[in-house]
Amino acid sequence: MNRTSSIALVVLLAALGLGMTYFVQLGSAQRIKAEQRLIDSGHLLDLIAPDSYDNQPLEHPITIEATPLTNSTLLGGYLATRGDQPVAVLLRSQTPGYAGAIDLLIAVDANGRLLGVKTLKQLETPGLGAKIADWPNAWLRVFSGKSRTEPGDSGWALKKDQGQFDQIAGATITSRAVINAIHDALRYFDEHRQQLLGIPAHG
Amino acid sequence: MNTGNNYSESLPMDSSSTLRNALMLTLLIGATHSLMAALGLCLMFMVVTELFSLAMGVLRSRLVPATCLLASILLAATLTSCAELMAQVWSLQWQQHLGFYGALIALQCVVLEHTGFFQNGWRQRLRLNGLFATLMIALGLLRELIGNGALGNPLSWLSGATQTDWQGWVLMADGGLRLATLVPGGFILLGLLIAAWQAWRPTPTH
Repeated sequence: MNRTSSIALVVLLAALGLGMTYFVQLGSAQRIKAEQRLIDSGHLLDLIAPDSYDNQPLEHPITIEATPLTNSTLLGGYLATRGDQPVAVLLRSQTPGYAGAIDLLIAVDANGRLLGVKTLKQLETPGLGAKIADWPNAWLRVFSGKSRTEPGDSGWALKKDQGQFDQIAGATITSRAVINAIHDALRYFDEHRQQLLGIPAHG
Repeated sequence: MNTGNNYSESLPMDSSSTLRNALMLTLLIGATHSLMAALGLCLMFMVVTELFSLAMGVLRSRLVPATCLLASILLAATLTSCAELMAQVWSLQWQQHLGFYGALIALQCVVLEHTGFFQNGWRQRLRLNGLFATLMIALGLLRELIGNGALGNPLSWLSGATQTDWQGWVLMADGGLRLATLVPGGFILLGLLIAAWQAWRPTPTH
């Protein structure tokens, strides 16, 4: 146990350590990536019924440049298809809430009907506005089945703003932000329906 | 060996054990926000420290003391990286739930080696490991129960099932005291547990 043999041993240990870590990382990268994809899709795609589509929507995002709408910004979207028919469009929308930005995932079916809304990120007051982050969510479920025509454009507001929807108790600003973001997304869908669904324009 | 009275003598508090205990405190408070995180960290900690002590036992006799620190750093880093990768392959969700506290195990190994922990008898190491594991699991259980009002289903983590609608074993219907899952609540709970322990086993008067 002299100095040179110690140093040689340490260098050998460094090489072995680096090599082993590299190989373990190489061997496991595939599986970890597949697992991560599974987790992501489980998290994002539980808005649409799993047997209604047969592609991998997360693999084929729709290219929407960050489009500012009246009250929110569209960050991107995914298309779910079955066979070649578009089944649903998932739009990611960001809107300023009470304490920060709220990220929403809004699922619209091919006819413009809402399939569901899910909160991805929020910074609202815990116990009040943060209730939008619970899943499954009773308040957000109210919007399923609504569309731009039902209720009409003036119905897409809180009851106290002469609209049709109840707010979350104690979280007026959050509720208003979510409703406006959903309405914006529905309007955008209507205006860009063909481009989003990938149906060639019929002239 | 008599128990009870010489409990405080068999674990001397000096500067080296202060450093060791301080690092353990980080893990105790940071990784016990839920029962699954505590269990995961305990498991990883046991495995990594055991492998580390075996390897260092072999290396220590062949190394000049000056290079021991460097060797222990390399060994700890390798073992912890491989352990984290293996844990990710086993259950990615579980490992992500741990956050970054898994990496602190490497630092803990180096500190333990530096303060000569692995050269103690296996009895003392077992006792300290057992104490650490019990404390982590107890804290994790309590913090999750009090903080969330319900205990999540452990099996769903392992089998990879996502988003079961079952709320777990519900203790309190309205969601519990959120403070308990945050770091200040962890400190408060640990303090209360230590106070209860000291009240139950009074330290001997000198």
